[in-house]
Amino acid sequence: MTVIRPGDEYLAQPFWTHLANGTLHLSTCEDCNKAHHPPSPICPHCRSFNIGWKPASGKATLNTYAVARHAVHPLLADQVPYTITLVDLEEGVRLVSGIPNGMEVDLEIGMPLECKVVKIDDQLSLPYFLPAGAADQDQ
Amino acid sequence: MKTSIVGLGQTEFSKNSGRSELRLATEAILAAMADAGLEVNDIDGLVRYTWDNTTEAAIVNALGLPSLKYYGETEFGGVNCCGAVAQASAAIEAGLASCIVFYRTLNARSGVRYGRGERILSEEDGRLINRQPEPPGDIYSAPFGLLVPGQHHALYAQSYKGQYGLSDDQFTDMLGSVAVTQRAYANNNPNALLRDKPLSMDDYRAGRVITEPLRIYDYCLETDGAMAMVIVSRERARSMGVKAVDVLSAGQYIYPGSVPMFLYAPVTHTLAPPEAGEDLFGKAGLKPSDIDVAGIYDATSMMVPLALEDFGFIGRGEAHQFLTSGGNGPTGALPVNTHGGLLSEGYFHGLNTIAEMVRQLRGESPNQVDAETAFITLRGASSMILGRA
Ligand SMILES: [Zn+2]
Repeated sequence: MTVIRPGDEYLAQPFWTHLANGTLHLSTCEDCNKAHHPPSPICPHCRSFNIGWKPASGKATLNTYAVARHAVHPLLADQVPYTITLVDLEEGVRLVSGIPNGMEVDLEIGMPLECKVVKIDDQLSLPYFLPAGAADQDQ
Repeated sequence: MKTSIVGLGQTEFSKNSGRSELRLATEAILAAMADAGLEVNDIDGLVRYTWDNTTEAAIVNALGLPSLKYYGETEFGGVNCCGAVAQASAAIEAGLASCIVFYRTLNARSGVRYGRGERILSEEDGRLINRQPEPPGDIYSAPFGLLVPGQHHALYAQSYKGQYGLSDDQFTDMLGSVAVTQRAYANNNPNALLRDKPLSMDDYRAGRVITEPLRIYDYCLETDGAMAMVIVSRERARSMGVKAVDVLSAGQYIYPGSVPMFLYAPVTHTLAPPEAGEDLFGKAGLKPSDIDVAGIYDATSMMVPLALEDFGFIGRGEAHQFLTSGGNGPTGALPVNTHGGLLSEGYFHGLNTIAEMVRQLRGESPNQVDAETAFITLRGASSMILGRA
């Protein structure tokens, strides 16, 4: 199965290195304590440059989802259908996520979700969000 | 705005133009200037998308234009189709130039295809690598397989469906009404790529699902060709003896998380906040009920119900009722995309949407309705109101 990887120069950045270590961290303002995503050098809430990284609680709700049935690249042909999600984290940020390939879950907009960091290899892990309960199951 | 659109030009729409983008651009520009009754040397300004491969310098050199006093560029492709006209208008009003051509040239089917992942992915040692800094298909989206604009539209579509609790059948009927109605317009439009291909509601329902909940007929066409339009001051337009169309109001509107792909917009079942419409209509001195015909940028059919609601043509959640009862059809309350739209005429990053509204106001549409005012938008990110001169 082909996983789409950010280039190595991106995987060296904190968002991805924290994930590779097993946890989802969010780019967070040290002054107003609010998170933002994607990561940014400046806080969009108070415009402080004092930005750090804080672990996310992993609690989120499902904003919306879509099921890709058509492969837009030949190397993705063995992956369709797959589910893409937009999730709203408790910290007030939106993430693009999905459901791991091969996992069957019933989705409903607004349902609670929990983060499950799935290791692809030593460099790359991805933050998936699953319905409470499903996150504990083995794939 | 105190400007007018006085000329339209285009090449044929095709799946393989067999010509360079520069060749296509110059054909369209010559045609637009001829339509306006102006000399090619009258061009003293150009506006274009940064996504266009053909630069202003290439146009100046190819056409041997004596001088260019203004050139403006705008980001995010068709997102800013109306903003490009606003930019040209502002430049004319500021005296920077007097005759500006807005052009778009692309071999989007035979060349680089926007609907394919190859545009943002590279294969390195058998691995698929992404280095895209911004959506669509950026580093935070691509690992989950969110790669191309059409998949984003499926996300808004599902969000809308969930917000109003539409059943699968209701949702299918709503979007099918957009696709089928627009195909019928295209079947009567000699320029349309799909002029010879009828589409019934049964055909629509049987269409292959691309990204659920959207089917193949919900998606726009990848197209080769070029278009151009000529913009001058309203005062000059009045002295030209051509069928001018006035730019009554035009502008851009983005907010955090919106452009380019609305992935991080606070709300995903509506894309333009009320202020976007209030500002646009306020400047034109009109209200939604004054509009006779609409060109809604339809990269997918879902853009039509969203825009109808976002700009107050109908109430929130009323799109199913409006569209399934023919509100967007030729005798409906607001005919929409009477050229067939990006779904069925061709995909020109909004220039063909604008061009059709110009044709309606000149009385030259293949699906002519009684129109004195026209509205155009791309998801509220750029919008425009045109009026018959
Ligand atoms: Zn802050």
